[in-house]
Amino acid sequence: MPMKFTRRVALALCGVALTMSVAAPVMAEEAYPSKPITLVVSYAAGGGTDAIARVFAARLEKALGGRVIVENRPGAAANLGTEVAAAADPDGYTLLIGNQGPMVVNPHIFKLKADPGTDLDPIAMIADASLVVVVGPSLKVNTLGELVEAAKSGELVYGSAGNASASHLGALLLGQTAGIKVRHVPYKGAGPAVNDLVGGHIDFMVTTIPSAIGLIESGTLKALAVTGDKRFASLPDVPTAIEAGVPGYTASAWYGLVGPKGMPAEVKSKLEAATTETLSDADVLDKLKNDGAVPSAMGPQAFADFMAKERARWGDVVKAADIKVE
Amino acid sequence: MLDVFINLGLGMTVAFTLQNIALCFLGCLIGTLVGVLPGVGPVATIAILLPVTLSLDPTGSLIMLAGIYYGAQYGGSTTAILVNIPGEATAVVTAIDGHKMAQKGQAGLALGLAAIGSFFAGTVATIVIAALGVPMTRMGLLFGPTEYFSLMIMGLVFAVVLAHGSLLKAVSMILVGVLLSCVGADMETGRERMTFGLEMLQDGIEFVVLAMGIFGFGEIFKNLADPEARDVVRSRIGRLWPTLKELKDNFPAILRGTFLGSVLGVLPGNGAILGPFASYAVEKRISKRPQDFGHGAPAAVAGPESANNAGAQTSFIPLLTLGLPPNAVMALMVGAMMIQGIVPGPQVIERNPELFWGLIASMWIGNLMLVIINLPLIGLWVKLLRVPYRLLFPAIVCFCCIGLYSIANDAAQVMMAALFGIIGYALYKLEFEPAPLALGFVLGRLLEEKLRQSLIISGGSPLTFLQSPLSAILLAIAAMALVIAISPSMRRNRDEVFKEA
Repeated sequence: MPMKFTRRVALALCGVALTMSVAAPVMAEEAYPSKPITLVVSYAAGGGTDAIARVFAARLEKALGGRVIVENRPGAAANLGTEVAAAADPDGYTLLIGNQGPMVVNPHIFKLKADPGTDLDPIAMIADASLVVVVGPSLKVNTLGELVEAAKSGELVYGSAGNASASHLGALLLGQTAGIKVRHVPYKGAGPAVNDLVGGHIDFMVTTIPSAIGLIESGTLKALAVTGDKRFASLPDVPTAIEAGVPGYTASAWYGLVGPKGMPAEVKSKLEAATTETLSDADVLDKLKNDGAVPSAMGPQAFADFMAKERARWGDVVKAADIKVE
Repeated sequence: MLDVFINLGLGMTVAFTLQNIALCFLGCLIGTLVGVLPGVGPVATIAILLPVTLSLDPTGSLIMLAGIYYGAQYGGSTTAILVNIPGEATAVVTAIDGHKMAQKGQAGLALGLAAIGSFFAGTVATIVIAALGVPMTRMGLLFGPTEYFSLMIMGLVFAVVLAHGSLLKAVSMILVGVLLSCVGADMETGRERMTFGLEMLQDGIEFVVLAMGIFGFGEIFKNLADPEARDVVRSRIGRLWPTLKELKDNFPAILRGTFLGSVLGVLPGNGAILGPFASYAVEKRISKRPQDFGHGAPAAVAGPESANNAGAQTSFIPLLTLGLPPNAVMALMVGAMMIQGIVPGPQVIERNPELFWGLIASMWIGNLMLVIINLPLIGLWVKLLRVPYRLLFPAIVCFCCIGLYSIANDAAQVMMAALFGIIGYALYKLEFEPAPLALGFVLGRLLEEKLRQSLIISGGSPLTFLQSPLSAILLAIAAMALVIAISPSMRRNRDEVFKEA
């Protein structure tokens, strides 16, 4: 008797398991997310993009009601992350923080295995980070106009965080917009470049706000302009480049949420709603401000249009400067 | 000067709270462990723990993270001495003579000297940060690309003494190292060099991958191939504490190492990694018995270990005084500060004096703790070595792989290290020294970067290296050293030295 009972229980259990395994895919769609989501970041832990991704992911977990794990996949000029995300299953469990460099600049510079414009699906824009034009002790200028004037000598050099980084492109665009010729000194990361700016070995930089704000506040570096279309809350006295007399000059490092092409519509809309909720949290806003960014909520269509516009714009800058690799 | 002590007093009151002592201890303990385990480094560890520190107060979290970093420098030497595998990339130099000492039955002495040297260096570096932080920062800022390049040239000229075999082989190893450092995207144009179209080479080769492959995996291959050589260290550790005479003999090396490490640690672009190499070169230069170097000279352990630890600590100076990170670990510390809402920069010292001075004071406490943690642990490490090789080696390989994978969550790094392991074994068989290769690799990268930056800044004029007084002096010293080295009398001496060795 007990034997038979056991067999029956086992059979019943098998039945339950079978039903569950058949039902599982359907249930997963209904109850997204039913397992942890991997959020790929194309940069090493501890950097600017990583900081923003972690602030975002921590609050997104609450909005979605499921785990979001940040996975750093640096490499190949940040193109590795793009490839990883493009190759993943479009089930909404692998997402990518898509930012300016790999999304719209690198396609003009590198031969890519995955095109972020066609192989990735925009979900929502997250944040916008203005850059700041700073000068060191080697240059006695007080305004952006004076910098442009001083640059007409053709002898000014600027540092960047590396070839094709946001700080390189920001300065390139400044040069092209203002019609000045300045020499580019690439560094490995913003840190060493800012170091040489403080030491007076290079003249100016167009760098991310967090990399310089401490030195600006202490008066070691002078901020001439922010490159966004609005002033930045932590630097209220610093004008925008347009206010400072370089019309049409805006450059920003922006961050958005993208996923592999072909995600289910419900998953996308759920992620978009969760992003909107995340970006309305006062604590998130505060932390983004620390990282030099302001939230910039955009839905999939608006974000896609924005990226297309950015891609065309930076393509012109890259072409004019001839920094193509291939 | 009085100010310094008042400030350090404030720091002590912060660091001596129960919570901060516990966090400091925890950091040092994790650091020691990470240091002892080959491959697993402080960068990956701190990156993983970064989100955890959110729940701590800023001072406590920085005290703990700092402890992991300098703790790892301590622990890295243990593995280097006992199994000839540098636990940290910076312990490459320690392994050269440290392991030879261990084979001679002096493992205890080598570990003891490393610990005493590190503690002394840590204590001095703490005072240097507190008293000379601002002038040291100014000195560091004097080194622009031009001056840095000349410093590297000087380093390269002195580097030749690192070798203890054929001069030709040493020079070719340095050049191979320089060549390997050129792999990857060109810094200015982004074009790929020597990547063979492989994506894993596009960002160049990581120093940790090279060091773990050639020194770590290579050593394991060597041991497997040569079973007689490997039981030596297990047999006898010898006494831990040096005699008064040994201490007196090695104290000058510790002092010089501390000085070199402290100065180089402040330089941007990870100057701290140069400290041990510089110390080794200097000790060999001025030693009365240079032929002992490479065969277990105690000064070759005491000096570089002191330099290593001093550099690890003074690399906090640019971070604390300017908010500028000179290496990857400090970049993570910037991240840790920002998470806590503290803007790194010159104003930290005024706005958050308790954090600034508390962190500095904690470093001294941490160094004391490390001696207390490490000396009794040596017994434990040695017991671990008694584990049969068929279990020990797979375990070491396993930890190496975890560490290598954690660099960029990328299996390609592990494969690359395995390849370097085979190269390392081949080098050993052909009697090429791998240490000059490591140095060439470290210097090569900086050399190219700084040369090109200098020339862009100067508009292409190489005269810039003579126009900067500091750069001109460094080049003059290098030229002098070169002349002395190739002068006939010196060459005879050198050859004799090599014959003896």
